[in-house]
Amino acid sequence: MFRVGRSVVAALAAAALALTACGGSSSDSSGGSGGSAEGRTLTLWHYETGNSAMGTAWAQAMKDFEAGHPGVKVKFEEKGFEQIQKTAGMVLNSDQAPDIMEYNKGNATAGLLSKQGLLTDLTEEATKRGWDKLLSPSLQTTAKYDERGIMGSGKWFGVPNYGEYVMVYYNKDMFDKAGIKVPTTFDEFTAALDAFAKKGTTPIATAGAEYPAQQLFYLLALNKANRAWIDSFELYKGKVDFHGPEFTYAAQTISDWVKKGYIGKDSAGMKAEDMGVAFIGGKYPIMVSGSWWFGRMQQEIKDFEWGSFLWPGQFAPGSSGNIWVVPEKSENKDLAYDFIDITMKKEIQNLLGNSGGVPVAADPAAITDARNKELIENFNKLSTQDGLAFYPDWPAPGYYDVLVAGIQELINGSKKPEEVLDEIAQPYNDNLADIGN
Amino acid sequence: MNADRTFRQPGRWAVLAALVVLAVVMLFPFVIVTLNAFKSPAEYSSNGPLSLPHGFYLDGIIAFWDRVDFGLKLWNSLLISGVVAVAAVVLSVLNAYALGIGKVRGRLWILVLFLVANTLPQESLVYPLYYLSKEVGLYDSKLAVILIFTVIQAAFGTYLLSSVLGQFPRGILEAAEIDGASRWRMLWGIVVPISRPTLSVLLIFFFIWTWNEFFLPMVFLISNDNQTVPVALGVLQGEKMMDATMSSASALLGIVPAVAFFLIFQRTLTRGVTVGAIK
Repeated sequence: MFRVGRSVVAALAAAALALTACGGSSSDSSGGSGGSAEGRTLTLWHYETGNSAMGTAWAQAMKDFEAGHPGVKVKFEEKGFEQIQKTAGMVLNSDQAPDIMEYNKGNATAGLLSKQGLLTDLTEEATKRGWDKLLSPSLQTTAKYDERGIMGSGKWFGVPNYGEYVMVYYNKDMFDKAGIKVPTTFDEFTAALDAFAKKGTTPIATAGAEYPAQQLFYLLALNKANRAWIDSFELYKGKVDFHGPEFTYAAQTISDWVKKGYIGKDSAGMKAEDMGVAFIGGKYPIMVSGSWWFGRMQQEIKDFEWGSFLWPGQFAPGSSGNIWVVPEKSENKDLAYDFIDITMKKEIQNLLGNSGGVPVAADPAAITDARNKELIENFNKLSTQDGLAFYPDWPAPGYYDVLVAGIQELINGSKKPEEVLDEIAQPYNDNLADIGN
Repeated sequence: MNADRTFRQPGRWAVLAALVVLAVVMLFPFVIVTLNAFKSPAEYSSNGPLSLPHGFYLDGIIAFWDRVDFGLKLWNSLLISGVVAVAAVVLSVLNAYALGIGKVRGRLWILVLFLVANTLPQESLVYPLYYLSKEVGLYDSKLAVILIFTVIQAAFGTYLLSSVLGQFPRGILEAAEIDGASRWRMLWGIVVPISRPTLSVLLIFFFIWTWNEFFLPMVFLISNDNQTVPVALGVLQGEKMMDATMSSASALLGIVPAVAFFLIFQRTLTRGVTVGAIK
């Protein structure tokens, strides 16, 4: 009898313990689905390669998250860019939606999903956890979407972790050999181009068949533009005159540069990959393209010294990188918020910077590599001078292909600059009519 | 006779030359893929895609295998393609038996319907299929893809087999009918064995077509554990970046099983044809 009694008491005590434990944990967890954290899983999708800056930093963030949330497992699945791009709307509308995922910023992507009610409004978390203070205003542009799904204002639907911008990569050895100094003003830049062209070297590697040439075109327009013009063009805050000084100058200059031999005629048919490989192979002294090339340059350029500098001008194409979004159907929203918070912490941001990425909230002093430091300092400089001008293909769906075709004709010389401007104005204005502006 | 031979000789050489050119054109992409699969990224970037690899760089292939858990993807592809190939052939045979040999009313229109269904682009099928599969709880399951492709492939198979069986020698069937064979018996005892070469060809095509499918599997196989080989290869295509050497490595890994399958079955196929001829 005695023994039975003892075991009963023990069982009761254990039950009482379990009950209090339950009560404790449920009062600890802040909102969300409630209940204990035991045995929960955070399903996370992203499409950055494992050895890229983001891949490295986020892998560490997952470890930190698991360490800080005992009993919670992170189930990470690496996805293809195209798969997320094409199927996100369907996945997020089903029970298979992940708890948190990386998604493309922009009106046609995150904006569209937010309009369809598939993304969670993160405004409250952003202010409570201070994400709104860590991100500069131009970075926040891609985080917020209004009820039409247009970025720049409204509620928070995403949180960017990294930035990107277009800069000038240059081959130091070729510059030294030609006796040309790194230009700091636009005049010096054109003088450098001219010096190379006179020596029979085509200075700028670009690619007309993909994004690089249209970004160069946009850079030239930006040299004649101000913030109000950018807001008009990108965020529909005013009218854009395609025959105004900005685009006229850009089209004319591209056409002139081809004639002067600063840009190769054959670049009309080149792809971004061809451009990169040609620069890495030491065939061109200059490549104007984005920070997404940086890691690859670091790994693959072995035969010469290289560096990067900001495009001579106040503005350059650039923005936040892709964003974390929390699907409306996520079952672990509280965990997703915690994870985003970890990726915004100094340690993870510094790791991102040290791995060759452009962090949005790092401590520049903690970046060890000289080139990485240069990359991040240039970004911070651009960001503080309000210089992130987004991308030329953002304003309208399908505008990327319109620009590719237009710039190719410009490089080929098959159409005059004014004709090309008419050609690219039409789809832009059609889209304005569509969204009711 | 002699003059005739010399007349024909240059023609033969021309045909041979044309075939050689064609073979080179066909094989060239495979050669490029193989070359680049064994190159390091730095080597690729500094020497371009056409250069010969300096060493035997296997890291790309190994890294890709581990990164996407390629063994599992192979198994998924094998399972889906295998089941689809067999099920679609069975379904096609049953349909074609009714349409080609049996006397179904309005069979021409049924065939036209199948043909039209066959020309529909998959993109237009995606949304209806997505809602249906979600309703019945098959979204993100291999079974959904198996069912969809069985139907898609069987539509083509039915169309093709119906016209093949339409030419089936009536005499044999009539003899069997006089011997008292049931329709079921006639199908499995006579029609299927005699049309076995056609069926094997269909089986191989269905397998390879299903193996190479990208779009619908990408939409329906959401979790990585269910994905097929072509969808796994898509992981490497980034937003702005492509990793040429790893893409080549993955492409090589992706092609090899389909080619191997084709080669293996090509032999049994020809054997099957000759056996039938001797009979």
